[in-house]
Amino acid sequence: MKKVEQWSAEDVSDWLSKEGMPEYQDALHQTDGPALLRLTEADFRNPPLSLLSCDGGQQIMERVKTLQIENHMVAHKNGHTNGHVVGLPNGTSKPLNGTMGRKDLRMEMVHIHIPTAEASRSSFPTEWRKTGAAFCYAVVCFVTTTIVISVVHERVPSKEHTPPLPDKFFDLFNRVEWAFSICEINGVLLVGLWLVQWILLKHRSIIGRRFFFIVGTLYLYRCITMYITTLPVPGMHFKCSPKLLGNWEAQMRRVLKMIAGGGLTITGAHDMCGDYLYSGHTVMLTLTYLFIKEYSPKRFWYYHWFCWTLSAVGIFCILLAHDHYTVDVVVAYFITTRLFWWYHTMANQQSLKETSQGNPFSRVWWYRPFQYFEENVSGIVPRNYQLPFSWRGLNWSRGVKYSRLDLQ
Amino acid sequence: MASQECVDARDPVVDIPNPGMEGAPVPNGGKTCPVHIPGGEDTKRGFRKGIGRHNDYVKISVPDFKVSPLPMEWWKTIMAFFYAGFNLVLTTVVITVVHERVPPKESSPPLPDKFFDYIDRVNWAFTVTEINGMVLLAIWMIQLFFFRYKSIAIRRFFFLIGTLYLYRCVTMYITTLPVPGMHMTCAPKLHGDSHAKIQRILQLISGGGLSITNSHLLCGDFLYSGHTVMLTLTYLFIKEYSPRSFWWYHLMCWLLSAVGVVCILVAHEHYSVDVVVAYFITSRLFWWYHTMANLQILKCSPNNYLTNTWWNPLFNFLERNVQTAVPCSYSWPITCPPACLKNPCKKYSMVQSTREE
Repeated sequence: MKKVEQWSAEDVSDWLSKEGMPEYQDALHQTDGPALLRLTEADFRNPPLSLLSCDGGQQIMERVKTLQIENHMVAHKNGHTNGHVVGLPNGTSKPLNGTMGRKDLRMEMVHIHIPTAEASRSSFPTEWRKTGAAFCYAVVCFVTTTIVISVVHERVPSKEHTPPLPDKFFDLFNRVEWAFSICEINGVLLVGLWLVQWILLKHRSIIGRRFFFIVGTLYLYRCITMYITTLPVPGMHFKCSPKLLGNWEAQMRRVLKMIAGGGLTITGAHDMCGDYLYSGHTVMLTLTYLFIKEYSPKRFWYYHWFCWTLSAVGIFCILLAHDHYTVDVVVAYFITTRLFWWYHTMANQQSLKETSQGNPFSRVWWYRPFQYFEENVSGIVPRNYQLPFSWRGLNWSRGVKYSRLDLQ
Repeated sequence: MASQECVDARDPVVDIPNPGMEGAPVPNGGKTCPVHIPGGEDTKRGFRKGIGRHNDYVKISVPDFKVSPLPMEWWKTIMAFFYAGFNLVLTTVVITVVHERVPPKESSPPLPDKFFDYIDRVNWAFTVTEINGMVLLAIWMIQLFFFRYKSIAIRRFFFLIGTLYLYRCVTMYITTLPVPGMHMTCAPKLHGDSHAKIQRILQLISGGGLSITNSHLLCGDFLYSGHTVMLTLTYLFIKEYSPRSFWWYHLMCWLLSAVGVVCILVAHEHYSVDVVVAYFITSRLFWWYHTMANLQILKCSPNNYLTNTWWNPLFNFLERNVQTAVPCSYSWPITCPPACLKNPCKKYSMVQSTREE
């Protein structure tokens, strides 16, 4: 068998199929012997090679390392019996005859890639500028939503003219008056809990960015669905404030009042009608729960259960209060969960961050902003905790680290 | 039916660590690949554990029986067909039930809709929609007929259609929207007359729910639009499973689809929100499913939130043995080996391109 350095591209191809890795043949069809020896693990993190393997190219790299050692052994035939120096991480230096040559061998040794050092070296840069951009985006979406609610309010048919639509839940359960306050209290609690948790997170800029972007997009979708078709009020108990036909100043004041009150009924800021499809309260309840669960340690199951109960009871109370149709709540839940999971899967998989034919996710309209936000985040954001101000030396890091982080 | 393009199954010669081991360096450490388990891996794993990570083992190549990366498995396709059939029947039953609850248009006038404010109704527009839908469906069926891996493509189509109609049952049932226009004539209500209701269901199924076959006389099935679902889904499938270079073909189908959808609104047969929600749900579900099916790396990744959906077990069942992205290759359905018209379209996935010689 001739030396690896003299292999042609065809020889490399034969070797790949002999080693049981024919799937690399196409990607490496122009690689000859010396180029094969120069392959590193970094090459397997980018396409096209990253899409070929589940293990980040580990098994092919092992084979290549074998070839590299064989190549060195063939090159330095003088007195080296131990070909396994690479495999000894402790570096136990057993003195062998021919120490001179051994030093040579060690100098030309294959570099052992230790992923730990590299991974912890700012794979998660805190780019506050991007978080600021996401925050502005969310604020713009909130303000747009409020304006759209104000516009739609003018078009809501009066409840005498268009009675509430038939709804299965309303047929089964009668209205309970105080239920909506429970929903809003739960919502405020969940948002408060999430805020506290967010402040304690170490990578708060990245996670904050994600939250703002997802919330902004959900409210943007909501603007569209509210605007194009106007549903009538779900119950005769609704007291909609009178319409201000064409009075822009009063409409502006109304918009500001709603923003100041956060759109909640308990603060008296939400007396406008027409914003039914889909339910913003459900969006907040679901999204805060998903974020709380995602970015807290897995062993805090009681905490997760508590938040889940808050969220579920809140959503149930929306319907119990006859404040939204059932379809509003169902659609809101569906869109929120799908967007959350979609975004996080894309963010966690490096191969999904590149546009390619094999990546249908890249056809979504917010793909460019997503790439902008997540391009420098490599890997899964670990759940580490850190006090926000001063005490920088006291890095608690009590959260459970993702084990994968350490070794990637 | 071993085609000559069958490639050797990929030998999992990787050191798959003990599934219970935390902190393993391999990305799928800590949890075995739930889907990707070709036969014989357990034995190999045992050997790996014993030998460890030293490079001093010798691979003894055992002649494998060739496992096709894209098995036909027609029985799974038939099950998907039954799933879709069941959901379609369920949809017609729900439409019949909901019809009884639709408020009469005198007492509950059509809801304000932005599109209806701008564009007045055109009578014949809905016929255009339905013709476009039928043409697209026919084109898709012809394309499937010549597709090499038809069982896989058909299976996916049935599964997606079934799921979309199932979602539609839920949204139609829970809240009933009034009719979008005063022009709509709804069949009279049959309070409690079950026999007549069953007849209605059969009439609806046999006519395919289309107006031109006079089987679409029931009202109440507005959120969300089934016509939009069909138009969008057939277009997405046609585009996905045809060569990339046929841009004129894709453009034509896109036009058919877009014109069909716009005509639904022009005919004032559905609210705008029905159409928008239908488009959104169809496209997201399609892309979600195909991303999970095409990217093998996701099947091995434990942080794959895409598996949080309720239909993930069904997906695993259908796609467990499909190991690569389905290449778009065509052949005469009646197998005559010399006349295999393989259309060398641009390959769209690196995984797939290395499996086809």
